[in-house]
Amino acid sequence: MTAYIIRRLIHLIPTFLGATFLAFLIIQLAPGDFVTRLELDPSYNQQQIENLRRLYGLDQPFTVQYAKWLSGFMKGYLGISLSYQTDVWQVIKPRLLNSLVLVVLSIIFVYVVSIPIGVYSALHQYSIADRFLTTLAFIGLAIPNFFFALLMLYFALWLKDIFGHEIFPIGGMRSLYIDGVDFFSAPKWRQWIDILWHAILPVIVSGTSGTAGFTRVMRTQMLETKLQDYVRTARAKGLSERVVIYKHILRNAIIPIVASIGFLLPELFGGAGLVEVVMGWPGLTPMMLDALFSIDVYIIMGSIGVSVILLMIGNLLSDLLLAWVDPRIRYS
Amino acid sequence: MADDKKTDLLEGIGEHSLSHWQKAWIRFKRHPFARWAGTVLIILYLLAIFADFVGPYPEAKSFRKFQFMRPTPIHFHTEDGKLTRPFVCKVERKRNLKTFKLEFVEDCDQHFPIYFFVHGYKYKFLGFIPSDLHLFGGPWLVEEKAHLFVWGTDDFGRDLFSRIWFGGRISLSIGIFAVIIALFLGVTLGGISGYFAGTKMHLMRGFMRWPGRDEISRKGLNAFGGLFSESALARGWRSAAYEGQSLTFLLLLPLQYIFWGLVAWILVITMRGFMAISGGMELVLAIIFFGGMLIYMLWAVLFGEVAIDIDDVIMRTTEILAAIPGLFSLIILSGILAKYDLPSATRFMMVLAILALVSWGGLARNIRGFVLQLREMEYAQAAKALGAGNWRILFRHLLPGVMGYLIVVVSLQLPGYILAESSLSFLGLGIQDPSSSWGLLLSKAQQGGMSALRDRPWLLFFPGFFIFVSILAYNYLGDALRDALDPRAEH
Repeated sequence: MTAYIIRRLIHLIPTFLGATFLAFLIIQLAPGDFVTRLELDPSYNQQQIENLRRLYGLDQPFTVQYAKWLSGFMKGYLGISLSYQTDVWQVIKPRLLNSLVLVVLSIIFVYVVSIPIGVYSALHQYSIADRFLTTLAFIGLAIPNFFFALLMLYFALWLKDIFGHEIFPIGGMRSLYIDGVDFFSAPKWRQWIDILWHAILPVIVSGTSGTAGFTRVMRTQMLETKLQDYVRTARAKGLSERVVIYKHILRNAIIPIVASIGFLLPELFGGAGLVEVVMGWPGLTPMMLDALFSIDVYIIMGSIGVSVILLMIGNLLSDLLLAWVDPRIRYS
Repeated sequence: MADDKKTDLLEGIGEHSLSHWQKAWIRFKRHPFARWAGTVLIILYLLAIFADFVGPYPEAKSFRKFQFMRPTPIHFHTEDGKLTRPFVCKVERKRNLKTFKLEFVEDCDQHFPIYFFVHGYKYKFLGFIPSDLHLFGGPWLVEEKAHLFVWGTDDFGRDLFSRIWFGGRISLSIGIFAVIIALFLGVTLGGISGYFAGTKMHLMRGFMRWPGRDEISRKGLNAFGGLFSESALARGWRSAAYEGQSLTFLLLLPLQYIFWGLVAWILVITMRGFMAISGGMELVLAIIFFGGMLIYMLWAVLFGEVAIDIDDVIMRTTEILAAIPGLFSLIILSGILAKYDLPSATRFMMVLAILALVSWGGLARNIRGFVLQLREMEYAQAAKALGAGNWRILFRHLLPGVMGYLIVVVSLQLPGYILAESSLSFLGLGIQDPSSSWGLLLSKAQQGGMSALRDRPWLLFFPGFFIFVSILAYNYLGDALRDALDPRAEH
């Protein structure tokens, strides 16, 4: 097992290099660089602009810039943001944490909602509730999450109009004031509750398509497992229906669901990104869009590098998780 | 035919048996929602194709005075309650002197009846048939005595109803084109990858033999004998000549040297630039790394035999593509694209190319898996034994076997492309004004802050609804196709 993990980790290195180099290459396709827009600014003369280019290494061939960025990345230094004028990590870190709050909550939401629904649907196949839930799953799969996010905002606004105060927050991640106290001077637990309250709608939105997909997979899995021979044997042994369902069917049916967290991660990353933009959640994606606009190379590269690593670790974890839940799978 | 039943002993004889595709078609038609989904899609595509005819206004016609105007009320009753031909009233924008808000005030002094199949704005149907026929409208519409905005207007005062259908052209077709390109890339590269997996492609054959190797001295050659004739290059040449491919060999040879020359050139430039701006430990490591690379390349040119598996190359590429979160690669590519000022047709092509480029990887991996299985099948072996060439076996014998899978994949992936295009346009990185696409139209709903949603819900519901419905219909269709083409359903 250890050998397998080490091999996987070594395998990640070329992929990481390739992905970041590709991203770097694509950014170079943009017309001009970060300093270009200063050329129109009369308060900068040609010499100052040249100096700026030299300072940020923008006068070097791009392979050099990439090598420099890479060697910095290995030391844990992501470079300097050109527009924020600080260390990139200082800019990315809070944004990354905000995004992770959304992604982790969405994962929990997906599993907590989809597994019981899938099981229920399969056990009551073709009942009215099953039909209703299956249709709902189809709708959940089809609704674009930015549209759903807008609908939720509309819903929140509507609720506010009806009740006169915000039942659900309208965008954003935190309130400015909690009970008249400034957010940051409020007690920690109040801050967290406030953030969770703000996260309700974004989590529902970004978790919906995952939930819908998993519900369907869970249902099919349960239906398929129900027909296995060992289930019949279990019944024949006289085990109670409860034990048959939860110990024999569910435990086997759930394996692919647990393993698909690797597929879920990138999807949630993307899906949560659009939700962040629409609902004003200060995550990675809105920052990326700003950085793209000003060609802030190191912000873009930093967030890509970090998210590539996160995705890879997520995939590795999901493979290990699979081996853990399914004793038949052994990596050697 | 199956429906004229014979009851005699010869039952079944003379009946046509159904082919795989016919049976699949019957199963497809039986799927409860497939029919509905198909109908909805056909209607949507027709409306998009006939957008000029369906919409009363041209795509880019804007009325500066009527920004964000709510849907024009259509009346069916006159003031005294009698049912008449539907008509609209003149709507004017006035400032409310109490609240100082802009308000739209309806002025029903004059009725403007709506006629069907009327002459209106001129357009060229399909780009070359001149026409001015519209589904509905009236002479007053072109003369601008009154306006008919069935679903309201957008931020430039353009008719949303017309723009939905023009947008449908882009939103509904971009997925199809993108899926075709992605299929082309995925099938070709995945097919090559699977078929040639395990075959080595030489990147470099050194032209000298490493002196004094044991096996050669065992063959009776002395340490320096056969320095050239036993080199990797010479051996490669001999085997190529043996297989009658000496021309290919000679053509590929200079390419190898050009490739390594380019790599060396890039390495040297990078090394020089890097050493100029770094110092200390970084410099030492850089010298070791770049120096090592250059020495390795020199060794390869002189003595080495560097070969790669093309399967590895393609599969590593797909892994690299998959490593970057999909949304990020989409927004980076199109963010760069958005910086260029392109005509809308070019932008359409570029967005489509981006969608295909980001997503061919998964397809290629699946095709590779299939081809890997199929190439060991007896019929593939038989084709080989009959002397068929590699490409013939791959494209005529193996890839047709993937057909059923491809149809399902296309119909299941299409909604993803529609979604991706609308997300990009929604973020302002895809299709841009004055062109129209559903995502772009939807992005206007939130213009001017969160609470703008409440004031102009038509900009939220109509474009969003169409994105949703088309994706839903494609999902159902894909589901039905998958069930229909499932080989397990045959028995």
